[in-house]
Amino acid sequence: MHPVTVLAAVAAGAGLLTWIAAGRSKRLGPAPHGGRQAPPDRGRAYGRRGAEVTASAAQRLNHASSLLAGSVLFDSSLEHYRGQFFNRAMYTPIIVSSITLASSLHGAGDTDPGRSGMRHAVQAVAGATGLVGFGFHAWNVGKREGGYSFQNLFYAAPIGAPMALTLAGLLGVAAERVRDADPDAPRLAALPAGKVLALATAAMLLGTTAEAGLLHFRGAFQNPAMLIPVTLPPLGAAALALAATREPGTSQADAKAAMWAVSAMGVAGVAFHAYGVARMMGGWSNWRQNLIDGPPLPAPPSFSGVALGGLAALELVERHRSLSSPRRLHAPP
Amino acid sequence: MRMGEWVPMRQFRDGEEIDFVVVGTGAGGGTLACSLAEQGFTVAAFDAGPYWRPLEDFASDEMHQSKLYWTDERIVDGENPLQMGSNNSGKSVGGSTVHYAMVALRFRPEWFKARTLLGYGADWPLDWREMWSYYDQVEDDLKISGPVTYPWGPKRPRYRYRAHELNAAAKVLARGAEAMGIAWTPTPLATVSAPRGDSPPCVYRGFCTLGCSTNAKQSVLVTYLPRALRAGAEIRDLAMVGRIETKGGRATGVHYYREGRWRFQRAKNVVVAGYAIETPRLLLMSANREFPDGLANSSGLVGKNLMVQGNQAVWGDFDEEIRSYKGPPSLAVTEHWNYEDRGKDFFGGYCYMSQGPLPTLWGSTQSGAHGLWGEALVSEMQRYNHVAGLKVVSEYLPQERNQVTLTGEKDQYGLPIPRITYSWCDNDKALNRHGLGFMGQALAAAGGRNIWEQRDDTCHLYGTARMGDDPKTSVVNGDCRSWDIPNLWVCDGSVFPTAGGVNPSLTIQAIALRTSDRIKASARDGVGGRA
Repeated sequence: MHPVTVLAAVAAGAGLLTWIAAGRSKRLGPAPHGGRQAPPDRGRAYGRRGAEVTASAAQRLNHASSLLAGSVLFDSSLEHYRGQFFNRAMYTPIIVSSITLASSLHGAGDTDPGRSGMRHAVQAVAGATGLVGFGFHAWNVGKREGGYSFQNLFYAAPIGAPMALTLAGLLGVAAERVRDADPDAPRLAALPAGKVLALATAAMLLGTTAEAGLLHFRGAFQNPAMLIPVTLPPLGAAALALAATREPGTSQADAKAAMWAVSAMGVAGVAFHAYGVARMMGGWSNWRQNLIDGPPLPAPPSFSGVALGGLAALELVERHRSLSSPRRLHAPP
Repeated sequence: MRMGEWVPMRQFRDGEEIDFVVVGTGAGGGTLACSLAEQGFTVAAFDAGPYWRPLEDFASDEMHQSKLYWTDERIVDGENPLQMGSNNSGKSVGGSTVHYAMVALRFRPEWFKARTLLGYGADWPLDWREMWSYYDQVEDDLKISGPVTYPWGPKRPRYRYRAHELNAAAKVLARGAEAMGIAWTPTPLATVSAPRGDSPPCVYRGFCTLGCSTNAKQSVLVTYLPRALRAGAEIRDLAMVGRIETKGGRATGVHYYREGRWRFQRAKNVVVAGYAIETPRLLLMSANREFPDGLANSSGLVGKNLMVQGNQAVWGDFDEEIRSYKGPPSLAVTEHWNYEDRGKDFFGGYCYMSQGPLPTLWGSTQSGAHGLWGEALVSEMQRYNHVAGLKVVSEYLPQERNQVTLTGEKDQYGLPIPRITYSWCDNDKALNRHGLGFMGQALAAAGGRNIWEQRDDTCHLYGTARMGDDPKTSVVNGDCRSWDIPNLWVCDGSVFPTAGGVNPSLTIQAIALRTSDRIKASARDGVGGRA
């Protein structure tokens, strides 16, 4: 059997097992806050969502980690295939992002409050794997002739790429913790969850911008559209930071619009990169070479992933029930 | 030029007196023709070679692609006869930029005043700061892919495109330089590292010196000439100019051979841009009763002071695979010995670059310069993938005895064959020793074994119509205008009074853009140009 087939089967199998395990571990734990449910919020745009803000925000966070994990899965598969799996460790992100994706998708469909221990563990592993990957890539850059120079940052292992897996893990861990939090005043790491997540996703946006900026600089910003991912996301980050300073309960429509814009940019980026592939020698008719050597199709959606995390943060900030503005409180039916 | 696309262009009649006839379409002529046409002049640029369409006409075959070289008959002599063809000439529209190695380096500023500041050669009638601004313009026109910061010389703007990824041969240079304690950098190259218009980014095919079949190379053929055509210029290919006509002390047009017969194109101005062999040859062949010693030759210096550059190399074996033919041949460079004057027993400088010879060239290098044959040659060729080398581009001094003259023999057009006489002086030999010695140490420090020296190679051509401030010691002035005939210009490597230690194309192109600006200015002042 072809090694790539084996790898794909292993990744898919690991993902499936994670999916099954995530559901089992969930049923084992006690329901937090007495399994309290709030009545569904009307006018939601998509999908079946948890009624409590914590569950709803957690699902959104899992949408975010799904996109990031998916982006890492396809991007690292493509790039490490390009690197011919020269080092055995290069298989790692493919397996880990597969189980992270399965875990995140499982969480995305979970409307109940209360964490899944399995999902939490998988997301923590993803976060740690990304950091280890960052170490590997940094070592790869530094060992080359010229050391930490622009030349090696351009062409050695992309130093920022593994961090996308860490972001997926962080957002996934946050999803589980938010699920467990008090719906009236959700907290993360002993701080108001909305604010913490807003600031964290703002920082993640800036980090992703740095990565895109470096690689678009390598491409000499030859197409003006290459400037969008280095201007729009920092504006989004600023909007998130501003949102974190507002009174709980204030409308965050502007920041939400910014997050939707960044999400859309991430999707549109795939189309731009597809155009970039067409501009390589031979274009799409030479796809087997140009998908590998051209602009990476799976990379831009990582912006969308982080922006969805920002939306979750904004939901938590907006619907945070502070003592000064008491709002509806529902007992379980 | 996309696949199957036609190249429409304006065509002038022979009897039409156009503003400029440019003889040659390479780095000098092609660039100048474009700029003149964009300034609003009527321009026809002549080239003896064909107008290739790289996507359709270029094969991945070293022997076939020798069609790009000027291999007409020449007689070479002197103590160190030059090898003519691949390294120093082109017979194509776009000239030798169609097959050059795309190395785009600037002169060291002091070289423009080599006599005054460094004590050798001759001063240029140009100011380096002005040249610096023309370099900026050429680098922008060609979207040079270069390092983010350049280690030597005065500040320059950032290269428009990023440097290419290094191949293993370039990393050998880097390791050697780091071991020797000198700086190195990815080479600024005229091939794009990201898409530009119809040019896809370089695919590292490695055939650069035999014609880029993808159009990633920013040769004159794919940059300035399409612009020239859009501005209304005509490129007349397969047209060999054999004589410039004069009347009353002014040039009136050119006789050229095309489609089996000699024809005459009238012109208000003539620019000769045939490079340092064909330019003096044409000026000398145009001798008439008015100018019995050849055109622009009152100084007697047309054809004299022929210069080349050293192109010697050291080669060695490595344990790991190098596959040096992947990517452009010269991906890393060090200009250390261009900018460092201490520790030299010679005048001038040199840079050296990594190398990527293709198999046929490598075979002929092994059988020629290395002298291997039979079993020894076969076994050496089997190590091809493990070989890396360093090759110098070094500055030889101008000498009047090195020259281009005419012989009594005739070529296929019935024109006199040129004789090319070349010998090294003691300074050149001292420079050779220094370069080979240093590169040998660097290659060994990088891990090379069985190191051998290739001592015979030269490249590039200069000096046979030098520019200067004094009509008695130069052929043209700083504007590339001949001292003797006010509407006759020379615009190519022939005008260099000294060679410098870098590849010439960028400087030739910067001079061409400056010349165009000077022509425009003088036309405005009513002293020349449209005369």
